[in-house]
Amino acid sequence: MSNTEMTNTENNPVLSIENYSLDYETANGPFHALKTIDLSINRGEILGLVGESGSGKTSLAWSIMRYLPKNAREPGGRILLGGDNLLDKSERQMEAIRGRRISMVFQDPSTSLNPTLSLGTQLAEVLMRHRGLSRQQAWKEGEERLAHVGLKTPAQMMHRMPHEASGGEKQRVVIASAFACNPECIIFDEPTTALDVITSRQILDLFVELQAETGVASLYISHDLALVARTAGRVAVIKRGDIVEQGTVREIFTNPQQDYTRELINAVPDPAHRLVKDDVAVTDKPLVKVENVSVHFGRKSFLAALTGKKTERVTGNNAISLSVNPGEILGIVGESGSGKSTLAKAMTGLNRFEGKIWFDGREIRNLGDMDNAYRKDVQIIFQHPDASLNPRQKIFEILSRPLKLFGDGSDLEKQVGDMLEQVRLPRTHANRYPHQLSGGEKQRVAIARAFASKPKLVICDEITSALDVSVQASVVELLLDLQKASGTAYLFITHDLNLIRQIAHRIAVMYRGDLIEVVKAEEIDSPDRADYTRRLIEAVPRAAAQFQ
Amino acid sequence: MTEFLKRLLKTPQGAIGTFLVVLVLAIVVFGPMLAPYDPEKLSPLARYKGPSLMYWLGTDQYGRDIFSRLLIGARATVVMAVLATIAGTLIGALIGTASAFLGGRADELIMRTIDAVMSIPSLLFALLVVNLLGSSTVNALVAVAIAFAPGMARITRSVALSVRKQDYVNAAIARGESSAYIIRREMLPNVIAPIIVEMTIRVSFAVMLFATLSFLGLGAQPPAAEWGLMVSEARRYMHMSAGILIWPSVAIAIVAVGFNLLGDGLRDALNPRT
Amino acid sequence: MIVYTLFVVSLIVFAITQILPADAAVMMLGENATPEALDALRQTMGLDAPIWQQYFSWLWHVVQGDLGTSLRTGQPVGPAMFEALGRSLLLALFSIGLMLVLAIPLGIIAAIRRGKIADMVVSLVSYAGVALPEFVTATIAVLVFADWMKWLPPTGYVPLTEDFFGGIAHLVLPVCVISIILIAHVSRMVRSELVDVLHTDYIRAARLKGMSRGHVLRRHALRNALLPTITIVALDVGYLLGGVIVVEEIFAIPGIGRQLIVAIQARDLPAIQAGVLIMAATYSIVNFIADILYAWLDKRIQYD
Repeated sequence: MSNTEMTNTENNPVLSIENYSLDYETANGPFHALKTIDLSINRGEILGLVGESGSGKTSLAWSIMRYLPKNAREPGGRILLGGDNLLDKSERQMEAIRGRRISMVFQDPSTSLNPTLSLGTQLAEVLMRHRGLSRQQAWKEGEERLAHVGLKTPAQMMHRMPHEASGGEKQRVVIASAFACNPECIIFDEPTTALDVITSRQILDLFVELQAETGVASLYISHDLALVARTAGRVAVIKRGDIVEQGTVREIFTNPQQDYTRELINAVPDPAHRLVKDDVAVTDKPLVKVENVSVHFGRKSFLAALTGKKTERVTGNNAISLSVNPGEILGIVGESGSGKSTLAKAMTGLNRFEGKIWFDGREIRNLGDMDNAYRKDVQIIFQHPDASLNPRQKIFEILSRPLKLFGDGSDLEKQVGDMLEQVRLPRTHANRYPHQLSGGEKQRVAIARAFASKPKLVICDEITSALDVSVQASVVELLLDLQKASGTAYLFITHDLNLIRQIAHRIAVMYRGDLIEVVKAEEIDSPDRADYTRRLIEAVPRAAAQFQ
Repeated sequence: MTEFLKRLLKTPQGAIGTFLVVLVLAIVVFGPMLAPYDPEKLSPLARYKGPSLMYWLGTDQYGRDIFSRLLIGARATVVMAVLATIAGTLIGALIGTASAFLGGRADELIMRTIDAVMSIPSLLFALLVVNLLGSSTVNALVAVAIAFAPGMARITRSVALSVRKQDYVNAAIARGESSAYIIRREMLPNVIAPIIVEMTIRVSFAVMLFATLSFLGLGAQPPAAEWGLMVSEARRYMHMSAGILIWPSVAIAIVAVGFNLLGDGLRDALNPRT
Repeated sequence: MIVYTLFVVSLIVFAITQILPADAAVMMLGENATPEALDALRQTMGLDAPIWQQYFSWLWHVVQGDLGTSLRTGQPVGPAMFEALGRSLLLALFSIGLMLVLAIPLGIIAAIRRGKIADMVVSLVSYAGVALPEFVTATIAVLVFADWMKWLPPTGYVPLTEDFFGGIAHLVLPVCVISIILIAHVSRMVRSELVDVLHTDYIRAARLKGMSRGHVLRRHALRNALLPTITIVALDVGYLLGGVIVVEEIFAIPGIGRQLIVAIQARDLPAIQAGVLIMAATYSIVNFIADILYAWLDKRIQYD
């Protein structure tokens, strides 16, 4: 799997970045995006570039591709591709190099493909541009290329529009166009981040296979150390525009030299390292029991009703039954569209549902049964704190609402301050607006809001997935501390299997609106699991396990 | 507030727009005090005068001082336009919010009907309403307000719907907040900004619509100093002196451009995330 | 959709014309008619029936293509209105044509030269364009190009079939005047759409595949940026029809706008009803066609 040992036949690296710096000019003076970067990639090698958001890893990709915004300044350094300094190239010369000698695979295939051009057109134009093929030749070559990246029906795929293909299929097309002209170097910018677990595993396998076959020098950019550990031979860790450490994957993982690297490695969730004790009493009196809950979307439109047209109802949840015990953390995993969030919304009165929910012995049949007491006890935290905190309210107002609704509402100043301290934020943050806080801080405010009413169940809907790894780790730590202190039960929805295996007592697996199974966390990798569960588990890369 | 002003004045649109609108509002307030002559005083001996120290912008076909008439007419023109726009916005915002809040079939029915109403050009709609009520300034105001309402309803609804989908509103619903609180504290502050922007830009359309109504004889009536009416009356005498046509046109243009620029400036300044 | 729109418009139009303080019988017989004669006429015209009956009887005639008889001329309203509509459509089509020829390139130039002088010039033009109502620009245009320069005839209408060049000469000023506001609006929209599209990931991806600036603009960006223009232009037709009313009045073009003004001033109810209905129908049909065109050009629509 690893390419570390691949012999380096050429002395000159394919891509080498020497002493390169990049500044952005802003109204507040220059911002140093990259500071004296030194990197090189040889033929046949994969260099992993790992960093958190804002670390400058994407800026580096743009620098290499010579695609920089107008306010970019380059105080010094060289970027050599096969010995040619790209900094000296004119725009016209770069156009001939991009796509032919160096190409790129992007994060999200649904935005990096033009929605109004067929997949074939977008692949063929590369071949026509750089290899001088005619339209027919390019089209035929395109079909072969698509077959080569594992698409079953390449001829039809060429004619499809992007919206007619799945995310995985689209990413294969993007990869096919990146490899189309046999470039010397390819930059992969988080190529699997936007994809589902199983699909991203397939794309990763494809990448490794094509890389080995062509020997292309690859720069693999990711925020995910575990992922990079699987694919790359060497890893460079970037922090605030600085390469803090680089070395072989083994060196970095087994013997990190820098604190930051160590922090990053420790922040990667490791399923073998459980963070909760399995001491939840399994009672026959669960806190919540969800019984045959189904959610359907789609409503007959006014005109459709007039003309008698049939509208199809989309099923979001299909007769889900599960239960959460007091003080338990129940994880729900599944791919996008599996109905995880739909269930969360049904339980918090944001979606209509059929079926029953039993809460603390009370029966809830519809949204009308969710009274003040129920809402006090069941709280939800959303994925994006940017969206869940009203941009026009100060933190004080945001946090004082649940206190007024559910608490005594006295001495709000002190209570809000205490809440902020509880989630390890300074009391003075009460006077700020959400946009003045960092992503992690905002999510802490959202957590504080949920805990204000002293709930019995908190539903966490992908609350860590918009955060950086290290921030994610500290938010998870906070949640677990709060849980220990309050005994609150969590319904923890996530697509991150490694994380949920660390913190959940039991895990529910969902697929396309159905509940596949609910199992104990430590038994999820047993061979007796359902077929889909096993595929999920196999698809997830586990970083640490490889080196211990 | 000062921070907001700073943001507004930072963009060239915001700065120029604010300057022009403040200038116009100053004329609305102080214009009648500053006017050197009685705007309706006829001077048969001083007709079609060019600009001079005595008559800064010259005189019109009856020898009235154009500068004085413009200063005084600002009230009739600008105040009416602003009032009509505010009224139209309120009606529209009410319908739009209600539609977005009701949702479902009621929403669809309201919006289809709004679409239908919008298929009548707003000038024609205003003409019909004025014709129905009789031509006068106040009736023109009502007509313009009614003509603006459907468009504002659409905009309000689409903004309200997009705010309605935000998780902070979901969070409030999940928390069990009352509908009144959700609309007032969670939605309204986020809905209002784009509507203010749209409203500001529409003031300039209202100015033009009023002028057009006066031109067609259905708005202000002579000898009022309404700017649209001044242009309209000048048409017959423009061969004698272009000034009587040009100056009120310039005045209308300043108001229209001013409110347009201010609207664009507000759009940037009111965005909390920039 | 169109049917519902026209139904609502017919209701509005009928409601407004009903409340109008104009008695059709008085208008036909004059102020001095005897009450008996008025009553008799009202009976034959069906004016004594309940309002809803009058409405449905009117609607029934309209559906059959009978738009009523003018109170002013005593002639059927329909043929006169449609003939006038033809002249107005000619004016409108020329205006839209001129607008498209100028607004789209202006918008594109402003977008690709964003922040440069060309962009500022275009945005100045667009602010100037929305600064004056049509009747003012029309008046100034007549003053400058007809009275001072004597390049073009000031007013009037000559059918193209009669004297092609004379007809065109008479159309130049009205067409230019109507187009100004449309050009300002559409060029701004094209600019902002194109600026948005140029910032998308897929444009960046195409550039990073080595596609030249021109190729990316032509093949990738314009297509997506100009699609929404269809909708914008269709919606602007409402504004255009309003502009037509004013411009026809000033340039003495016997189009539907002029007919409507005359009808409104004379309180000729059947003519007002017919005119408004025809205008609303024109607007709805244009928007309907635009929707279909959009869906046809953008195949994603069916799936959304």
